[in-house]
Amino acid sequence: MKRYIAAAIVSLIGLADAIYLTVEHVTGQSVRCTIVAGCSEVLSSQYAVVSGVPLAAIGASAYFTVFSLATLAAFGYRVAGMLLTVVVLLMFLVSLWLVYLQAFVIHAFCQFCLLSAAVTTALTVLALSAHRGARLSQTPGSV
Amino acid sequence: MKRILPFLIILVVLGIAVGSAWYLTRVTPGTPSANPAPASQSTANNPQSRPAPIRGIPGAEPAQTLGAANAPVQLEEFGDYQCPPCAAFHPVLEKMHEEFGDKLRITFRNFPLTQSHPHAVAAASSAEAAGLQGKFWEMHDLIYEHQAEWKDKMDVGPIFEGYAKQIGLNIERWKKDVGSEQVAQRVFLDSRRGQTMGVRGTPTVFINGREVPFESLLAPDRLRAVIQSELAASGSR
Repeated sequence: MKRYIAAAIVSLIGLADAIYLTVEHVTGQSVRCTIVAGCSEVLSSQYAVVSGVPLAAIGASAYFTVFSLATLAAFGYRVAGMLLTVVVLLMFLVSLWLVYLQAFVIHAFCQFCLLSAAVTTALTVLALSAHRGARLSQTPGSV
Repeated sequence: MKRILPFLIILVVLGIAVGSAWYLTRVTPGTPSANPAPASQSTANNPQSRPAPIRGIPGAEPAQTLGAANAPVQLEEFGDYQCPPCAAFHPVLEKMHEEFGDKLRITFRNFPLTQSHPHAVAAASSAEAAGLQGKFWEMHDLIYEHQAEWKDKMDVGPIFEGYAKQIGLNIERWKKDVGSEQVAQRVFLDSRRGQTMGVRGTPTVFINGREVPFESLLAPDRLRAVIQSELAASGSR
């Protein structure tokens, strides 16, 4: 349960980060060249939009979903815990792809995107260990 | 109560997330809602509803300008020669200069983003050094118009030297001036002025001291409307 609470708190960091990036995108700031190196290249690239929707907005929705599932799991909703593991693993794979794009395709790193990747990695560790803990507690004879 | 508590927490977080996104959209510099000046004639005619002009500390003097000194509309651009949106804004500004002539005073300020653009200072220095021979705008135009040719090159020195030859500069003097303290000081002072005016990206444009929303910069129609509303406000349309 503690791990689910931790996951909920960590997901809030990702949510705040994704909201900031969404606002930058919507207000056109990401198209501008900025003092912070790398972000304008990454956020104005073709990969920053998926079917007309800013990737950051999709990220914000994903972090909100993770927060909701982690909160429900912390209150004992087992299905939410299972769904959380699936969603977080998907997010982790997407994050790996995005870091690859920054490193080898766009050739620029945006620290806000890297923060998001770090948050997703932390969430993956928390979700997997919480999932494992839940399975162990269900096994007869285990502590 | 315990059954609805997680849903309450989720709802509260959703409210905070949506509320903060809405608030940030309003306060982000350069967006119309954050800085409604000079979007419409009625707004321009009512000085009380407009934010106060931002003054900032002085930049390099004399500044690089086009148009009459006492023009009713004073436009100041903070630009970085290696920044693609600045190059995209360049023809828009040229068009405004052609259309409004002496009613529009254009000032260019250097704001090189050295972290992301390694040639930005070299480009700014090349243009400022040309300015010492009275050909700032000729060099400025060439550097922006040919940005795609040099921005990803390793050594831009010979390219800028080619532009200097093309506009008929005294090359020996220009080369000396590019690395001079005087030119470095001008770039530094412009940049420092931008910092005190809250500039954090390029291009950033102020008209009569008020920041123009970024989305109005790359569309000539929108920038024209902003300039026209300022002219109307000054009574010299």
